[in-house]
Amino acid sequence: MSATTQALARSARWSGDLAKVAAIFMRDARLAISYPMSFWLGWISIAGQVLAFYFMSKLVGPSKAFGFGGHETSYFDYVVVNLAFVEFQTVAIQSFQRAIRSDQMLGTLEAVLATPTGLPLIVLSSGLWAFALTVVQVAVYLGVASLLGLNLTHTNLSTALAFLLLTVACMSPVGVLSAASIMTFKQLGPTNWVANGLAMLLGGVLFPVSKLPVALQYVSWILPITHALNGIRGAVHGATLAQLAPDAMWMAACAVLLLPVSLVAFARAVRRAKKDGTLGHY
Amino acid sequence: MTQPAIITCDRVTKSFPSEYGFVKWLRHRGRLPRRVALEDVSLQIRARSLFGLLGPNGAGKTTMLKLLATLSLPDRGGIVVDGVDASGSPDAVKARIGLCTSEERSFYYRLTGRENLEFFGALAGLRGTQRAARIAHVAELVDLTGSLDRRFAGYSSGMRVRLALARALLADPDILLLDEPTRGVDPIHADAVRRLMREELVQRRGKTVVLTTNLLEEAWAVCDEVAILSEGRLVAQGSPPDLNRRIGGRVRYAITFDRPSEQLVQQVRRLEGVLQAHALGPSAETMTVELMAGGRTLTHVLAMVTQNGTTVLGVRPLDDGLLDLFRAPRPEAPQ
Repeated sequence: MSATTQALARSARWSGDLAKVAAIFMRDARLAISYPMSFWLGWISIAGQVLAFYFMSKLVGPSKAFGFGGHETSYFDYVVVNLAFVEFQTVAIQSFQRAIRSDQMLGTLEAVLATPTGLPLIVLSSGLWAFALTVVQVAVYLGVASLLGLNLTHTNLSTALAFLLLTVACMSPVGVLSAASIMTFKQLGPTNWVANGLAMLLGGVLFPVSKLPVALQYVSWILPITHALNGIRGAVHGATLAQLAPDAMWMAACAVLLLPVSLVAFARAVRRAKKDGTLGHY
Repeated sequence: MTQPAIITCDRVTKSFPSEYGFVKWLRHRGRLPRRVALEDVSLQIRARSLFGLLGPNGAGKTTMLKLLATLSLPDRGGIVVDGVDASGSPDAVKARIGLCTSEERSFYYRLTGRENLEFFGALAGLRGTQRAARIAHVAELVDLTGSLDRRFAGYSSGMRVRLALARALLADPDILLLDEPTRGVDPIHADAVRRLMREELVQRRGKTVVLTTNLLEEAWAVCDEVAILSEGRLVAQGSPPDLNRRIGGRVRYAITFDRPSEQLVQQVRRLEGVLQAHALGPSAETMTVELMAGGRTLTHVLAMVTQNGTTVLGVRPLDDGLLDLFRAPRPEAPQ
């Protein structure tokens, strides 16, 4: 086969895969919008959450511990940015397992897996709608917070985007591993609340990591969410990616290590289910 | 001309765990006891034919279909679909088949029939106007054109089965695996589905159709060849006439007429070639007869019934002799 023919075949395969990704995105969008009450309540809760932290932050004065690079920052700015960003961790962990669980419960999993579509494409695309929705919701969340005084004027957008992508790349494998466990054990695991609990307690979401005992600070350092939040807070204060390189490199290392592991684990879980005849069970 | 085999199953054995759960897994030290669903089944399915997998509930028909669709993996044995090893290249096999499951729950309830077909069509590799045209075509084939824009949740059982059939046909695959496609479908649409399989798909379009059913009459009416599974074992395989000969050259019919008469049944019983005759129903309005196959005995029976002015309302072949084939001994599970 000539190089041109190979290139054409590769291009056709890519474009075919993109069409499948779009179809999965469209399916999830249609399903989400088919529950209008739940869909719109999600937006209303954003405003409620921002308001709650706005009033709570009046109890805590500005501090250098909330800032980046020695700048004094208000607690409102600190917590709102953290909570917005931790949403990406939540969605990365939840979206894949929810997609698989939902297909199990609806009985559509076998029908989807009977199509000539690669397993990684099915799994990874199933989180796309949730990510897109979260991006928009976080933008609205930060927009509402800006009206209440959040200062985003110094934000380095390219650094923020880099940390957003690193967070998704780093946390998605955890979600895919959870999806693999659902494929095997047929129930939602504790991954989400463990990850959220660790983020709240040790990741520096509600208070700075520097306030933790030294031993817990070491544990905190291992968690990708700690570096993700440090990175995004730095980006909000105008830091460049080079200034945040240690955080970025740690997250990249986690992503490179975990993504193939999670996809292999998921493929093995599907194979196990096919062996045991439990693909359609829930 | 005899077509070559397009699907080959070579000594396929499949078992499932008979217990599930982590605690039970621990109790059995990681080796859960298993129940045999298929044992040593070998099949050859010819291209461009309608092949029936027949058997009672739990015989292993759906298991076999799922193995062919690569949704399940065999414990032992090999499956080759259109020259492709099913275990080694499942995606290549999936690109060649269309699967119609008997599960009602295989669509998104909140989406319309069209939206469901758009989604599954895209995953099957169809795009844009080609996909829209295929959806319109298959919807017409299964008589769902007028209902495509209704939510799937509002579909009746029969419509759901027909939508599953439409999904299987969507990418125009050469091989169709149809799991009880007439189950829950009203008689008019069931007849249309049978004609679709026989006349449109196999005879006109040259497709290979593998049909599972537990309806003897359906298999006898439409299939070129039938494999009978019973409790996981292949107990007979052949064309319907071949199998008729194997069950001892006997055929059975139910004859319904307008003037019930026990005396008439006794007269029929004395005819040459009639092995048995019984009256059925509260006023003997139906008679079952068992005849020697291949002769003119049925003609003689009908002539006797009608000679005194009785009108025959219906004659229905019964294949009860095949029931003996269904009752094969249960394969023992390996220890």
